[in-house]
Amino acid sequence: MKKLLLVISALGILLSGCTTTAPVSKFSAYRGLYEARPVSVLIMPPINRSTNVEAKEYFHSTLNVPIANAGYYVIPPFLSMEILKRESAFDSELFFDVPLTKFGEVFGADLALFTVIHKWDKTGLLSQVYVEIEYILKSIATNEILYTRKGNITYDTSVSTGASGVFGALADIAASAINTAATKYVDVARICNAYTFKDLPAGKYSPVYLTDSTQVAGPKEFTVRLNSQYK
Amino acid sequence: MKNLFALLFFILLFSSCTVQQPLYSWSKYEQASYNYLKNSDANSAQFLIETYQKIIDKQEGTRKIVPPGVYADYGFILLQSDKEEEGKTMLLKEVETYPESKVFITNVLKILEQ
Repeated sequence: MKKLLLVISALGILLSGCTTTAPVSKFSAYRGLYEARPVSVLIMPPINRSTNVEAKEYFHSTLNVPIANAGYYVIPPFLSMEILKRESAFDSELFFDVPLTKFGEVFGADLALFTVIHKWDKTGLLSQVYVEIEYILKSIATNEILYTRKGNITYDTSVSTGASGVFGALADIAASAINTAATKYVDVARICNAYTFKDLPAGKYSPVYLTDSTQVAGPKEFTVRLNSQYK
Repeated sequence: MKNLFALLFFILLFSSCTVQQPLYSWSKYEQASYNYLKNSDANSAQFLIETYQKIIDKQEGTRKIVPPGVYADYGFILLQSDKEEEGKTMLLKEVETYPESKVFITNVLKILEQ
């Protein structure tokens, strides 16, 4: 009897884990990337659909660090931005659906990272910073989309840390100092990048290059709400 | 038998704890690049230059190699401040460190010579 109960409860536990959609490995989610084995990434000027005109260049400057940290070679961002401006290629909208071979010739890159800033806002009363960004990695040689994710991040600047006592008070003071001085859109965008590229298959400079293919891939679109406790 | 379970338990515990060390250290790059874009004045350029120097001089990442793009962007900022020789040297260091940058840097050098 005891054994039977054990078996039933074991089955129960097993099955309860199956109610959500079955996990997908990084290999099946991003098969094209594992097969193409790209080395270098060109960050295209972000496509800005938000109302904030400054978002484009600021957001651009946040992208090279996470991609390099993932093990890829990133075409130098300041230098490439300058060349793209000179060559009148500052509006990535124009290049999204056309062959990218010219970019391959000039930059020698394997991948082009397109980003679309859908929202980059402060929502008035609630003192929230909100960014909604779409990321699309395309093969420069074949134009194929090899990776795409979309993130919605809300950062609530008004929330207290929830800690109590003396340390809590100190933590709250520190948090509000961060809020007033440093909570810029770029910080929230960086968090969005971190979430997004957590899923990016490792590049050739990473110790887990190719071996990370069995890890579980995250959802294509994600929503995260953060408050000042997040670091 | 019990010991075996304990052993398995610990293996599982630690296998999930292997936090990957970062490949590179970036000093205050995020702050410096943001300031440079925001203010684009002599002070912010100087801060960015110092940050690049720190990244180059002291790499604490696991690769112990300067991260991609740092030599080249440093060179670019130097060129902007009319330090042509130093700037070009940095561009060439990028190619030396990362041969995959050769196509781009060669094109940049061509543009500079025009």
